[in-house]
Amino acid sequence: MVVIGGGPGGYVAALKAGQMGANVAIVEKEFLGGTCLNYGCIPSKALLASAELVHRVRHAADLGIEVAGQVSANWTQIQARKDKIVQTLRGGIKGLLGARKVTIYSGRATLAGPGNVVVDSNGKSESLTASKIILAVGSVPSRIGGWPTDPNVVCTSDEALHWKTLPKKLLIVGGGAIGCEFACMLQPLGVEVTIVEMLPRLLPNMDAQVGELLAKIFAGRGIKSFVGAKIENLSVNGPAARATLSDGTALEADRVLVATGRRPNTAEIGLSSVNLIVDRGFVRVNDRMETPVKDYYCIGDANGRCQLAHAASAQGVVAVENALGHGRAQDSPVPNCVYTFPEVASVGMTAEEARANGRPISIGFFPLSHLGKAMAVADNEGFVKVIRDRESGQFLGAHMIGHNVTECIAAATALLHQKASMVDVAETIFAHPTMSESLKEAAEDSLSMGLHLPPRKVMRVAGGVA
Amino acid sequence: MPTITLAAAADMRAGTIRRWRKNRGDAVAKGEVLVEVEGETAVVEVESTLAGTLTEILAGEGKTVAVGAAIATVASTDDKPAAIAVAPKGNVIPILMPKAGQTMEEGTLVKWHVAIGANVKKGDVIFEIETDKANMEVEATDSGRLSRIVLPEGRALAVLQPVAYLADNDADVDAFIASQGVAPPPQPSPGVPGEGETVYGTRHAASAVVENGRPKSSPAARKIAAQRGIDLAALSAGSGPGGRIISTDVPLNVPPGKSAPAATAPAGVTRKRMSQMRRAIAKNLLLSKQTIPHFYVRLTIDADPLFAFYQAEKTRYPVSLNDVVVMACAKTIMEFPAFRSRLENEEIVESPSANIGVAVAMDDGLIVPVVMSAERLSLRQIAGETKRIAAAAKSGKIEGMGSGVFTITNMGMFGVEEFGAIINPPEAAILAVGTAREAVVVKDGAMRAGRVMTMTLSADHRLIDGATAAKFLARLKLILESPSQLA
Repeated sequence: MVVIGGGPGGYVAALKAGQMGANVAIVEKEFLGGTCLNYGCIPSKALLASAELVHRVRHAADLGIEVAGQVSANWTQIQARKDKIVQTLRGGIKGLLGARKVTIYSGRATLAGPGNVVVDSNGKSESLTASKIILAVGSVPSRIGGWPTDPNVVCTSDEALHWKTLPKKLLIVGGGAIGCEFACMLQPLGVEVTIVEMLPRLLPNMDAQVGELLAKIFAGRGIKSFVGAKIENLSVNGPAARATLSDGTALEADRVLVATGRRPNTAEIGLSSVNLIVDRGFVRVNDRMETPVKDYYCIGDANGRCQLAHAASAQGVVAVENALGHGRAQDSPVPNCVYTFPEVASVGMTAEEARANGRPISIGFFPLSHLGKAMAVADNEGFVKVIRDRESGQFLGAHMIGHNVTECIAAATALLHQKASMVDVAETIFAHPTMSESLKEAAEDSLSMGLHLPPRKVMRVAGGVA
Repeated sequence: MPTITLAAAADMRAGTIRRWRKNRGDAVAKGEVLVEVEGETAVVEVESTLAGTLTEILAGEGKTVAVGAAIATVASTDDKPAAIAVAPKGNVIPILMPKAGQTMEEGTLVKWHVAIGANVKKGDVIFEIETDKANMEVEATDSGRLSRIVLPEGRALAVLQPVAYLADNDADVDAFIASQGVAPPPQPSPGVPGEGETVYGTRHAASAVVENGRPKSSPAARKIAAQRGIDLAALSAGSGPGGRIISTDVPLNVPPGKSAPAATAPAGVTRKRMSQMRRAIAKNLLLSKQTIPHFYVRLTIDADPLFAFYQAEKTRYPVSLNDVVVMACAKTIMEFPAFRSRLENEEIVESPSANIGVAVAMDDGLIVPVVMSAERLSLRQIAGETKRIAAAAKSGKIEGMGSGVFTITNMGMFGVEEFGAIINPPEAAILAVGTAREAVVVKDGAMRAGRVMTMTLSADHRLIDGATAAKFLARLKLILESPSQLA
């Protein structure tokens, strides 16, 4: 087996194949760990941890802590700490691959006809043959066609994670997970941040109330959000950028971060040599990760199903199991987390999706302002919302914003994976005091059984007559 | 008759019926709460806008209805229809074929205990039915005058379909039936012992609404339909918004089709419908022979000590040779867990006790009542139990149905020397016992006249291997050849 790409999809697939006894090679063109470890999940979380500490120290007085003198963030030190974490983890993946006897090729892989992969490395070229090939080629940040390309001014997350200096005024284009995380990270470090999102709210793919609350919290910190707004024109003049929105508003910044999504990295890997076609750049697959071409599988960002590291890893395992003859489909719910502070997490259907599916739903809601643990840690903004099918009683989804909710979502995900009913969720015992108790409270609320909220108001109407 | 519809409350577009506060037949006053309806974020109580009698509930608990849809009919005291006016109560109560047990699909009416025109009281036995498992008497859970019998004796009907109607006035029954359309809807059981399930059939005559090439239906409905082997396209429009079929619209079983016309038979040949019991036997044993990998192990024991022991015990209390075999099997089964196991999906489920089925021949078939926890009983108790359950079974009441782990079938009384039996699913094995016959017994090189008995074990190879079966029989032989330990 040859796995092309060493990100969280590819390296996990290679480890799984090694565990199952296959003769497996992995090809990585840059760094093991892929986007997740080098340009995504891990470095951004390391930077966010520094930023959150600054934020909390500035609010230390709320917890009775007096900080004498100036609190200042040393961006160079913050970056160095992040780089060290990334280095350590890269070494860890290399060690794991070695322990599973996976051959690692450093170089650029190109498909060269059925069963063949050519690896180019430092001018040398090597040909590999395989009976099963897994494409885990990932994605790169999209850029906007027609915009200025000065990399010192108009950047993507790839550059932003390695900035040597911080901008004074930053314009973030795109209010999705990446845009919101950078906004949240950079504001406490002294950057004046403005977000422009084309859709009507921040985090437009998640529960509506979540994005609305996040925008409100951001506004309180001085992060400006323009939602439902489109940048008509962007010009760069020396170190200054100037954007004009459709309503005429002019925004100025010394740097621009384009966070409008990621596009699949499939253009230069020789797909046509094996007759694989792409759909908007994605290599489409079925639930078993099989491409239309036998013995070729595609996992992770490049198949366009779900651009999340843990989804790629799960797909990698499924692809390998199918390739090695243990058929299985990937149909487990995938949680989605945003590491702003407060954090955002969701799994399963939103109310909007459930309605669009024609499911009669009941919504359970629990505000974290009523939660002991949230008050104790002085972080009580947010809520947990759950969706129940009113007819079948099934638990359909959970949507959270608040302190540590990216950990709380695990309980919801496990219950959803087990196809629990909302009664099952409500009957589960959660430790007190924890943030995750709010999931149980919301579940009880959806059943009108909540004890830690005043009784749900019962409306009274007169029946119609026909 | 006026209908009450679900009124709009706040931004609610549809609601799911949570609880009816009023039942059919209840008097309602203007402003009284009829029903609790659940929307997305709130519970709404719907008040009656009319005074009168709640004559019909059109949306059962758990059903989702759009705002504006009819949920109940009320016979208004100010505006009473003529048909209602004739009868002081005007109530028609359908009596349904009960669903006694998860697997019951239909029942045959054996006997009516009351005649048309009789007044029945709640608790009276009104008819008797036969299912594939048992005969049972059905009590009325409502009082009233038996106005119409729609299911005559000897005929079968799917569960929860009306077999008769209680009403003071026969004309009301006609009106009631007419109002139900072609297929009378199974109402939530006024007259039947159910299992706490409220089951609604489809009441819409219009055919299913097709959307994207398939019947408009909820995922839950599609899942349930697939489980029950029901084709959604064959159903009529559902009760969800826009005729969407929702889970509660899916009937419990495939609507019974018309039976094929009987072929013309040559003279002398008779044709009759299989009895419920024969059909059950056919279904179970076909399933067993087709899906269980049977293998057979046969062994002959020296039956002299057994026969002597049995003769001696019989002088003290009524006991059969088979009772001794039951007891010996109970002891052996406790030592061999595989013989009290069953397969469920890919799991082996082990029962803690030796519940032994004893095959009992009937005029038209056989039944297998079960001696529960036989390992805890003395021989005298086993003898009493087998007599009692066989008598009960012959009168139509089978005990321990479905909880047996092992069956014993004995044809010794007919002089049969040996035979092989078919496993009674989901059990793991069955023991076929022949007669304790006179034979020449050769022991230590010498011949003598004695008695021997041949037993044939049929075992499910998925659960039991040959060596295990052999060891089981060897252990059973040891016990039966020194039966005094059973006293």
